[in-house]
Amino acid sequence: MNNVIIDARNVTYRYEGGLSDAVSHLSLKVYEGEFVAVLGRNGCGKSTLAKLMNALLLPTSGEIMVNGVKASNEDECYEVRKSCGMVFQNPDNQIVTTIVEEDCAFGLENLGVEPALIRKRVDEALNAVGMAKHAHSSPAMLSGGQKQRVAVAGVLAMRPRIIVFDESTAMLDPIGRRDVFALAKKLNQEEGITIVWITHFMEEAVQADRVVVMDHGRIALEDTPHQVFAQMDKVLSLGLDVPEMMKLSARLRASGLKLPHGIMTVEEMAENLVKLRNA
Amino acid sequence: MPIEIKHLTHTYMPGSPFEARALNDICLTINDGEFIGIIGHTGSGKSTLISYFNGLERGASGAVLVNGVDLSDKNADLIAVRRTVGLVFQYPEYQLFEETVEKDIAFGPTNLGLTPEEVERRVVHAMHLVGLDPSRAKKSPFDLSGGQKRRVAIAGVLAMEPSILVLDEPAAGLDPAGRHEMLELISDIHESGVTIVMVSHSMDDVGRYCDRLFVLSHGEIAYQGTPAEVFVHGEELNKIGLDVPECAKLAARLRKAGFDIPQDAYRMEDVAGYIVKNIGKGRSDR
Repeated sequence: MNNVIIDARNVTYRYEGGLSDAVSHLSLKVYEGEFVAVLGRNGCGKSTLAKLMNALLLPTSGEIMVNGVKASNEDECYEVRKSCGMVFQNPDNQIVTTIVEEDCAFGLENLGVEPALIRKRVDEALNAVGMAKHAHSSPAMLSGGQKQRVAVAGVLAMRPRIIVFDESTAMLDPIGRRDVFALAKKLNQEEGITIVWITHFMEEAVQADRVVVMDHGRIALEDTPHQVFAQMDKVLSLGLDVPEMMKLSARLRASGLKLPHGIMTVEEMAENLVKLRNA
Repeated sequence: MPIEIKHLTHTYMPGSPFEARALNDICLTINDGEFIGIIGHTGSGKSTLISYFNGLERGASGAVLVNGVDLSDKNADLIAVRRTVGLVFQYPEYQLFEETVEKDIAFGPTNLGLTPEEVERRVVHAMHLVGLDPSRAKKSPFDLSGGQKRRVAIAGVLAMEPSILVLDEPAAGLDPAGRHEMLELISDIHESGVTIVMVSHSMDDVGRYCDRLFVLSHGEIAYQGTPAEVFVHGEELNKIGLDVPECAKLAARLRKAGFDIPQDAYRMEDVAGYIVKNIGKGRSDR
């Protein structure tokens, strides 16, 4: 098993004036190089957890270590943000300049990195997200998926070890969604960047290494996608959905077909049904 | 015949280097009481098209008729049209601004110059339609959850008592349970007699709820018909960046493997039935 890169220990966060804890006595370990999906209904504390990982919020109690730095310590917040980047839901809230490449350079400029190195990192980052040919465009002329890729490039230029995506595909169309998800997968597999992927889309969650389901500020389920979605009733009761093929599978089993458990994709389903017919 | 569009063409920033044709020779008719789905990838022209439905955009070539009134006519009564056609934008909860839920919902009807009693009646009715508990009336809309805020915004449009409700991605950003509730809510509004036009990226959603679909691609109507008629074009839809429902995909795959499943099957219950028939009951009982 790889090193623990995010270690939340008994973390609680309550917003000012809040009647209950947004995150409540939560402990979670994320390992280096992992792709972890975080699910849960609106208001379950997912985004609060994301902000705790990035020291945008500091825990009310408990502590959280990110890449060996104490994210629960206010003095360390800039160190934490260097190693843990964040991509939000709406790229319009994250993009600050009027030229794509300037936006990518924004973080580095603020750190006082020398111009030649900024140039190099920005070019690399825009290449990595497939937006190099739009380097001189205005973000306003881009599609949602393209804007989100620019936001990722801005984070990438900072060379983070971890990127937290907080529902970064929620506002995108199917193509944009596929692109941004594939990009996160690529960064995870090729660059070894640890990914925390917060989403409402089950078809994304099934492709993660591990799924964490939150409910009322706590972790309700935590396992591989197969193991989590196998608990169909529990998953539905947590306000989530299960992949369509799992529902179909349950229906077919109920009408007597001997299908194995854990079928999640169209490919798996077709293969099993053909096998069953030929048996 | 509430909405009739004839040869509508729209060009953004004509004459500039950014000139882009958003709509090209669109012809369509939406009948009373229908539940229509409009699908297409980003930039396909969906949002431009619906902004013609109540005269937010006008004056391009072609004609847009709402209840027989031509909106491109300079003398068209746009205020009347906007009472007939209610438009709910994407993420409408960002439009909320009033101190309380009831004041926010009352904003539109009050501007119509209705009596306070009539405004009150409409607010109560609209809250009921969107499933908001009356106890929320005096609350600040900003203290509500995302899904509840969106209901307040939709109630604000419903309080204008439109006969046609156009919604741009009404379920975007909601969690699966919230998504399901929102779609059921729209289905209820449809049952109450309102014509619905829903813009969506989700083939599953439009397949489940809509009577008829228009698929837009590059500003043109690429496909139209019932969901079953549209989903037959699975591969072509994929090429223009759209997905068909998972069960339609499975059916296509199984057909290739020799299963006997009709082209137009896409609902889970139907596809499941055909699968069971193909594999044979005798075999499955063993």
